[in-house]
Amino acid sequence: MDAVSYTAQWMAAARAQESEREDPLFVDPLARDLAAPRGFELIERYVGGGVLPFISIRTRFLDDAIQEIVAGSGIQQVVLIAAGMDTRAFRLDWPDGTELYEVDHGPLITEKRRRLDALGAEPRTDRREVSADLTQEWLPSLEAAGFDRNRPTLWVAEGLTFFLTEEQAGGLLQLLASASAPGSHLAFDLLGRAMLRSPFSKRFLDHLAADGTPWVFGTDEPEEFLTANGWKTTDLREPGQPGAGEGRWPYEVQPRGRRGANRLWLIRAEVVTD
Amino acid sequence: MSSAGIDKVRDWILGRHPERTELAADVDLIESRLVDSLAFVELVYTIEDAAGVEIDFDAIDIEDFQTLATIEKAFFA
Repeated sequence: MDAVSYTAQWMAAARAQESEREDPLFVDPLARDLAAPRGFELIERYVGGGVLPFISIRTRFLDDAIQEIVAGSGIQQVVLIAAGMDTRAFRLDWPDGTELYEVDHGPLITEKRRRLDALGAEPRTDRREVSADLTQEWLPSLEAAGFDRNRPTLWVAEGLTFFLTEEQAGGLLQLLASASAPGSHLAFDLLGRAMLRSPFSKRFLDHLAADGTPWVFGTDEPEEFLTANGWKTTDLREPGQPGAGEGRWPYEVQPRGRRGANRLWLIRAEVVTD
Repeated sequence: MSSAGIDKVRDWILGRHPERTELAADVDLIESRLVDSLAFVELVYTIEDAAGVEIDFDAIDIEDFQTLATIEKAFFA
C-alpha cells in the first residue's frame, strides 16, 4: 500500500480508539480490523496537539451533517471522496434508495473489500466502490459506477484538503461544483494557516512530510475560499463549539479574528448555481 | 514585577496539568509535551497578558519558548 493508505489506517485506528471510550462520539466496530497493520503505530508517531480529538470530532460532525442533509433534502446520491477506511455505509442509517459511492485508489479499495468480506460486514445501503486516481480525471469512473450529475449530490471529503496544494483544493471544489445539480451539498474540513507555520507543530508536520504525506494547505478565510470555488458556506464550526465536540476539545475556542490562533474548520456548504 | 509575570505563566501551565504541582525553570516545555501545538497559542496569549507586550506570530523564535527560564529571559527580563 502507498503512503496515503497508511493515513487511512491511522484514521481507522483513531476511530477504533474513540469507539472504545466510555463516552464515544461514535462507534465504529469495524475500525480496529481496518487499522492494521500500521494504524496504531502511526497514532504514536503522529502524536501532536489535538490531533486525536480532532479526528473524532470531525468524524462525528460529518456523521451528523450527512444524516441531517440526506434526511432533510431528499438527496439520494452520496459520494465519499478519498473514502479510505470509512465505514459509514455499514454504521449509519440511510434512507431507502440511497446510493453511497466510495472513491479511492484501487489497491486500497481491494484491500478494504478483502477485510470487510472476511468480517462478514453487510452494508446498510447501496454501496458502490469506485477505483480512481484523484489526481487524474476521476468523474468518468464515478459516472461509470452509476453517478448521475443531473441529480443532487452530497459530497463528503474528510481529511483530504490538508494534503493538497491550494490550487488542487480549489480545483477539487470547482470540479465538484461542476458536477453538482442544484441543491447539492458538500461536507468537509479545512486547516487554518497557523497550524502549518507554528514552530510547536513542527515535529508533527515533519513526521507527516517524512512519510510522504505532508500537510500543505490551510486557510484563515474559509468562507472566501469556498465562494471563490463555487460553494456557499451554510455551517462553519471549530472544534470545541456546540455541535463540534463541545466538552471534548481540550483547548479554548478562540474568538474569530484573534491573531495567530490555530484553526480547524468543519464545514457544510451548498453549491452555487446561476 | 518580572517574577510575578513568570509566575502567571507557570500557573497557567500547571493549571493545564493538574497531576503536576511544580515546574522547574529548566524543564523543556515542548519535549515534555506540557505545551503542545494547539496549546501554544494560549501560552503566547498568557505571556502577552502577563508581560503587557504583543508577540508577532510571524517572527516567533521557538528557543524563546523552550523553558520557563527562556520565557523569563525573553519577555520578563
